[in-house]
Amino acid sequence: MITDMTLGQFFPGKSVIHRLDPRTKLILTIVFIVATFLASNPVTFLLLTVCTVALVMASGISLGTILKGIKPIIFILIFTAILNVFLTGGVGEPLVAFWIIKIYKEGIIRAVFMALRILILIVGTSTLLTYTTSPIALTDGIESLLSPLKKIKVPVHTFAMMMTIALRFIPTLVEETEKIMNAQKSRGADFSSGGLIKKAKALIPILIPLFVSAFKRADELATAMECRCYRGDKNRTKLVKLSYKGRDALWFVLSALFIGGVIVLGFVAGYMPEELASTNLFRIMFYPI
Amino acid sequence: MNKIEIQNVSYTYSKGTPFQMVALNDVSVAFEKGKITGLIGHTGSGKSTLVHMLNGLYRPTSGRILLDGQDIWEKPKEISKIRYRVGLVMQYPEYQLFDDTVRLDIGFGPRNQGLSEQEVEERVKEAAEFVGIDDEMLEKSPFELSGGQKRRVAIAGIIAMRPEVLVLDEPAAGLDPRGRREILGGLVRYVERNDATVILVSHSMEDMALYCDNVVVMSHSQVYRSGTVREIFSDADVLADIGLDVPAVAKIASALRHEGIELEGELYTVEGVKRAIIEYIGRSGK
Repeated sequence: MITDMTLGQFFPGKSVIHRLDPRTKLILTIVFIVATFLASNPVTFLLLTVCTVALVMASGISLGTILKGIKPIIFILIFTAILNVFLTGGVGEPLVAFWIIKIYKEGIIRAVFMALRILILIVGTSTLLTYTTSPIALTDGIESLLSPLKKIKVPVHTFAMMMTIALRFIPTLVEETEKIMNAQKSRGADFSSGGLIKKAKALIPILIPLFVSAFKRADELATAMECRCYRGDKNRTKLVKLSYKGRDALWFVLSALFIGGVIVLGFVAGYMPEELASTNLFRIMFYPI
Repeated sequence: MNKIEIQNVSYTYSKGTPFQMVALNDVSVAFEKGKITGLIGHTGSGKSTLVHMLNGLYRPTSGRILLDGQDIWEKPKEISKIRYRVGLVMQYPEYQLFDDTVRLDIGFGPRNQGLSEQEVEERVKEAAEFVGIDDEMLEKSPFELSGGQKRRVAIAGIIAMRPEVLVLDEPAAGLDPRGRREILGGLVRYVERNDATVILVSHSMEDMALYCDNVVVMSHSQVYRSGTVREIFSDADVLADIGLDVPAVAKIASALRHEGIELEGELYTVEGVKRAIIEYIGRSGK
């Protein structure tokens, strides 16, 4: 069932991480992502892994939920790892040489690191951000962090409101899709068998009602907002004002220590510059995650 | 005879997550063949979940659902065949309309069943007649119809599959009295003509009293009471205990009886109570 997907979902709770200011979490997430890409040797990866495990434990999110969230990216993980194993060249003798396939020690090391990197990236950022931050808090945080841009006339508030609405309606649309699918299944619609074209055609009875109701909903929402005199940013006050607390400062210090540790350990072990210089298609591809 | 039988069925949503919720808890109930059974209960009492299970949209977490004595999940791959035999009209079914014309939309189910075009045409006509859709409307786009007309088209889309069991989740919600009468009256005719079994979810006690033979009352994920309309509605206190009402006229009858006025007969429809009062007056000679 679609509703069983956990990646990107919010799990309400009262853990240390849940209680952090969303802005802190956003900044920490950026620090975390940078650190993941800086990591380049076993020691730094060990540090990253330990920190990720600590984060997960601190968030109180169950291991089952985390594993469920990883499930959809397992294919990407394996795919990336395999490509790296085969396509990485190396100095010295290949471990396996067969026809045009040559596997080097470097390739295996790189594949393991790459898979671990993606895994840590997904688990770390989702624990820090999406699992533990409500969508509303998240957009509030983004709006607040981007608010300096207002000075150069960037409509930050509008963007934040659009994001809030989009996020808010994802579950509604998922629910609606499921409802319509069930209704069409009840009329004997078959979504799983047949070739690609047949499968695409089978989606029509879902897509048309879904679009119709989405447009209708958007229209109703706009009217409802206008009825309550929504005029955007101007003179608007907030019910819950964001404020940094002592624990946020503590986490900033921790994250500074963390990224410092990753950089120092990277230099100690040595081959960081080479790793940074090498461009890897997959690294660029997955950067936005 | 029982057409559909539910044995010790439980269902839990999102098992193993913080959103876990028990919707049905060890429910056992049977629906008689050729009868209209009403299903009542508060919002969140598990009615809709139960209804979704009858045609295999949800699979019970535990327990069995028997259709003509056979477990519908015996061959999970053939569950779509069960859906032709047990037709389900969802809540606000007008959302499911999508095709170019009303005719094509009603024919969607029968066409999926693999019937010939001629048979599909026959089914569409028959179904349209049951819910009161005329020929002119058949050529229109479903999106230019009014809410009530859309509802009829959606219900016709299920009836056109000629299911042995017809399950309707609040088919008359939000319709005007005439629309209610026409749609529910159509159901009665469908049952009579095809010896079908109907399960009707509704919040309207008046509709229940008028159209149903049996009533199943649900409360807190369990079956609270089940019996004939007469058994269920003759005791206003039992339903009041779980915060449900009996038809207004049944309340009057019950109040009269508390005053020592012995009424007899169908004390839950306006007609029945009227007859009982006239009979009482005749009997007591006042």
